[in-house]
Amino acid sequence: MRDPAPDRETIAQLEREAQEAIGKATDAAQLEEARVAFLGRKGRLTAALRSIGRLPADQRPIMGELINEVKERLGVMFERRRDELADRSHDREHDRGDASLPGRRGWEGGRHVLRRVIRDAKEIFVRMGYSIAEGPDVELDYYNFEALNFPPDHPSRDAQDTFYVNRDILLRTQTSPVQVRYMERHTPPLRIISPGRVYRNEAPDPSHAAEFYQIEGLCVDVNVSLSDLRGDVAFFIRQFFGPDAKVRFRPHFFPFTEPSAEVDMTCFACRGTGCAICKKTGWIEIMGAGMVHPNVFRYAGYDPEMVTGFAFGMGIDRMAMLKYGIDDIRRFLGNDIRFLKQFWNEQWAGVPQ
Amino acid sequence: MKASLNWLKRYVEIREEARVVANDLTMFGLNVEALKSLGADYSGVVFGRVLECAKHPQADRLSVCTVDTGGKRPLNIVCGATNVRAGMGVAVAVAGAVLAGGFRIKKTRLRGEISEGMICSEKELGIGADEQGILELDLTLGPGVSLDGKLGGGDTIFDVEVTPNRPDLLSHIGIAREIAALYRRTLQAPQRMALRHENGFRIEMEDQGDCPRYSAAFIDDVRIAPSPDWLQELLTGVGLKPRNNIVDITNFVLLELGQPLHAFDRDRMGRDAIFVRRGRSDERILTLDGVDRDLGEDVLLITDGVTPIGVAGVMGGRATEVTSETKRVLLESAYFDPRSIRRSRRCLKLDTEASYRFERGADPGVTVAALERACRLIADTGAGRPAEIYADALAAADLVVPRTLAMRTRQANRVMGTMLAVDDLVELLSRLGLKTFFAGEQVTVSVPTFRRDLREEIDLIEETARLYGYDNIGREEERHGVICAEISPFDRRNEELCDRLAARGFAEITTSSFMDPGDPERLQWRAEDSRSRPVKLENPLTAAQSAMRTSLLPGMLRVAGRNFAAGLEGIRIFELDKVFLQRSEGEGLPEEQYHLCAVFSGRSGPLQWFEKQRDFDFFDMKGEVESTLEYLGVQAETGTTHRVRDDECCYNWLYKNKIVASWGGIPFHIAARFDVPAPVYFFDILLDAFPPGWAGRVVSGRISQFPAVKRDLSVLAPERVGWSDIRTVVRKNAKHLESVTLFDYYQDDQLGHGLKSYAFRMIFRSHEGTLEDAQIDTVIGAVLDGLQEELQVALRSE
Repeated sequence: MRDPAPDRETIAQLEREAQEAIGKATDAAQLEEARVAFLGRKGRLTAALRSIGRLPADQRPIMGELINEVKERLGVMFERRRDELADRSHDREHDRGDASLPGRRGWEGGRHVLRRVIRDAKEIFVRMGYSIAEGPDVELDYYNFEALNFPPDHPSRDAQDTFYVNRDILLRTQTSPVQVRYMERHTPPLRIISPGRVYRNEAPDPSHAAEFYQIEGLCVDVNVSLSDLRGDVAFFIRQFFGPDAKVRFRPHFFPFTEPSAEVDMTCFACRGTGCAICKKTGWIEIMGAGMVHPNVFRYAGYDPEMVTGFAFGMGIDRMAMLKYGIDDIRRFLGNDIRFLKQFWNEQWAGVPQ
Repeated sequence: MKASLNWLKRYVEIREEARVVANDLTMFGLNVEALKSLGADYSGVVFGRVLECAKHPQADRLSVCTVDTGGKRPLNIVCGATNVRAGMGVAVAVAGAVLAGGFRIKKTRLRGEISEGMICSEKELGIGADEQGILELDLTLGPGVSLDGKLGGGDTIFDVEVTPNRPDLLSHIGIAREIAALYRRTLQAPQRMALRHENGFRIEMEDQGDCPRYSAAFIDDVRIAPSPDWLQELLTGVGLKPRNNIVDITNFVLLELGQPLHAFDRDRMGRDAIFVRRGRSDERILTLDGVDRDLGEDVLLITDGVTPIGVAGVMGGRATEVTSETKRVLLESAYFDPRSIRRSRRCLKLDTEASYRFERGADPGVTVAALERACRLIADTGAGRPAEIYADALAAADLVVPRTLAMRTRQANRVMGTMLAVDDLVELLSRLGLKTFFAGEQVTVSVPTFRRDLREEIDLIEETARLYGYDNIGREEERHGVICAEISPFDRRNEELCDRLAARGFAEITTSSFMDPGDPERLQWRAEDSRSRPVKLENPLTAAQSAMRTSLLPGMLRVAGRNFAAGLEGIRIFELDKVFLQRSEGEGLPEEQYHLCAVFSGRSGPLQWFEKQRDFDFFDMKGEVESTLEYLGVQAETGTTHRVRDDECCYNWLYKNKIVASWGGIPFHIAARFDVPAPVYFFDILLDAFPPGWAGRVVSGRISQFPAVKRDLSVLAPERVGWSDIRTVVRKNAKHLESVTLFDYYQDDQLGHGLKSYAFRMIFRSHEGTLEDAQIDTVIGAVLDGLQEELQVALRSE
């Protein structure tokens, strides 16, 4: 049986029916069924198009164009509906009726606050042009004391109670021996930091630990001065503690530097007006520093007439305590996860808010 | 060193407030650690002038005053004292001030009249007993000037941190000298009695190295009595207990000049002579503190030629102590070698003011001056009649001759980063009382014997920098030339490794470098294992911290234990740090190795709603160690895994014939020794075995654009065959194989005795074209043949 020639009304009716079928389809299969019924090779719209031959010749292009427009519109509707159904079936799969159910998670992890502070400090120094040098924790007395201008029997050795393995071998009390070892193998100019663990034979309390971390820096060149030291220390402190941190240099004594200084930073808690943390001085001691003593250069085989240099050293545990308001140095080795996890989430390495 | 402000004022003019002096000294290198006001006990009190004074309208005994305290308008203050009147200078405690006894002043209303402060009495300020009337101040101060530290005449005590290089600062004269330099003022030397050198008295030294100088003075007609009030007050202020005039004067000179003196009762000495020598093991001495002490070779003694009468530079003996009966005194003023005093002090475990100074290095040039000073005080206070002579034994004359040191202008500027002229440098150094000369571009300095720390040019540069002011040197923004930094790839790789583990849900920890030497046994390590022979400390804090760790494991287990005790259900932690292994020769420094160790225990994840909680198991750990090894550039399966002991689930992993990793489980009973209440799984990798880049450069390979074909097989294997055998055979026989993945495994008696079922998925893909079914069938056939022939592994028939 041949289809009757299409007219506008029939086509409009077909479009309405197709739209209805698209809307009613609730899954991909039903939608496909509807698509075949209207737009398929044997579909009703296809059939209508095929029968326009029976129209008078002058009407054929008009009707053809009309049917094609309808086909195109329906095609878009089918696609849109298909995507909708696909999304919906996807949602259904995971929405068990309560989207507020918690997501799947495992144990969280994170870096140890102290190790992260060490890394942050190292990064700042590397940007400033310092290379990183390491050395042994179990060290020769020579490198820890003698080559650093501590004469045997000098009372300044008393100031640092030392763990000994035997007469010649000890646990380093500072990371300066790394600098001596580095100078033995390198020639100036050089600029290094030596981060690492150091040991003092002290009974532990909230601000003293027998093991803690230090970073010491050393810069040697033909014309390095106290002024350069001030510049580098001030830059580091601003990077580490924030742009408002100011430093001051107080004359002091260390056997391996001369002139020597203790470096104070404006108290971060009271911003210099004086509080309990800074003992009402507005300043907190954070670092020792100075110009490398000529004897240290002599031990290292450098000519103190040719080069000058500066060195500085700081306790990282103390810096971390100051930066994060940690009340007891023993927490670092305590490793209570409740303590550690406070520092796992984003806290930008540079400047505290 | 405790220094009294009043005492310092004897030698140098000090106009500044105590707090200002303390701060200036701190910035000058004499760190004032504490500041204590004696007497006065208030803060926030200012000078004020009473402008008007009227009767309180509601109360007869009160007055209402307006007082100028320097503010925009005068304060309204209600006062109860009868002596208040207009025009009077008074001490006003303004709101916020704290008075004696911690009484805090607030703005208040008294019978309807506002009172904005308090006019203080002596008692309220803690400077006297008068509480009736207010304190009238006859001061020419501006209203509003702080009175803190200004009233009461109470002394202020500075606690000065003296660095070991500056023994000269262990005296008031030394600190006064610094203040004079700081404020450009003149130093007033204390008065002395000139004594004449006469060597009639016998002084001998066994070893002039131990005692390079011994001087003595002699006091006759001694009249022991309490010392005068001013002397007692000064001593009490710095924490010394006054005893009698002679002893107090020796202590005073010690704290004034830094030279320890000792007074012997000359009549109680066995022989009238001094002989300095080392002790003998059969000798004893009863020291002033009442302790009977064994002597020996290590102790330097003062003897009368026969009997020890004192421990040199440390403490005198009881037998020759000055008592109320004493008539004649021998005053000792010596210079002992710091090392010999240190030996004596350590041997006797006895610390005194004298030993502290001798150990840091006293001044050999001041011995006679100290005697002359003491004699002056003794004569002035009527404590005795000094003989006009002194005896002196001096090992070498150059000990007391000033040294000459030179400093070049150019070098000083080079070290400091300044551009000072030579006369600037001379001016700075002469402020310290150093005699300076200059010629051309060089400053020459004559260094007095009390500044033994000034030994070479750099020491003078330091003094110059200190006087110039560190904070005046250079701008903070200055940066010197650039040196390019190197980062160790090892360090960087390890940081990334830590970040990676942290992101995978591991908590990083950092444990002590120490180990309990009992830990190897607790962990049942074999005696021949190098980890069982740790480096031991001679002087550990505690026995449990007496060895250097040979493994990160024991410390990590303890951390796990503590965290479980704190309520954690599951733990997954890692540490990347050093361990210390004795070298086989047992000589020299130990080998320091970097290890990465991870510990898993308890629940494998948090409590959740969609699945049951379970405990960490061996395969949780194994997955992580495999992943970590791959990250380090090596497949776990390319090494050899050896079970350490037949009865334990602990494996050593050998790569290129070296043990570079170990992993496994720690059974419950061992974990319990570390207070871990659950089985533990761990891995431990020697990172030094995998230097970064050891596996070579990564070269990007071809990625096939053709589709993959999946095939699953299920096979039955006999007991002796393991998954790794099957995997090897599959890989050997399967052409086009991209991957083989085990997805099911079980052992069941229904399968037949000892038989195991493995089901795995193979993915095939070719670079040349799409694989046809027929091609894959041929490959599967080859795989099954191989499994059957090599392993007697058969396809399961359902």
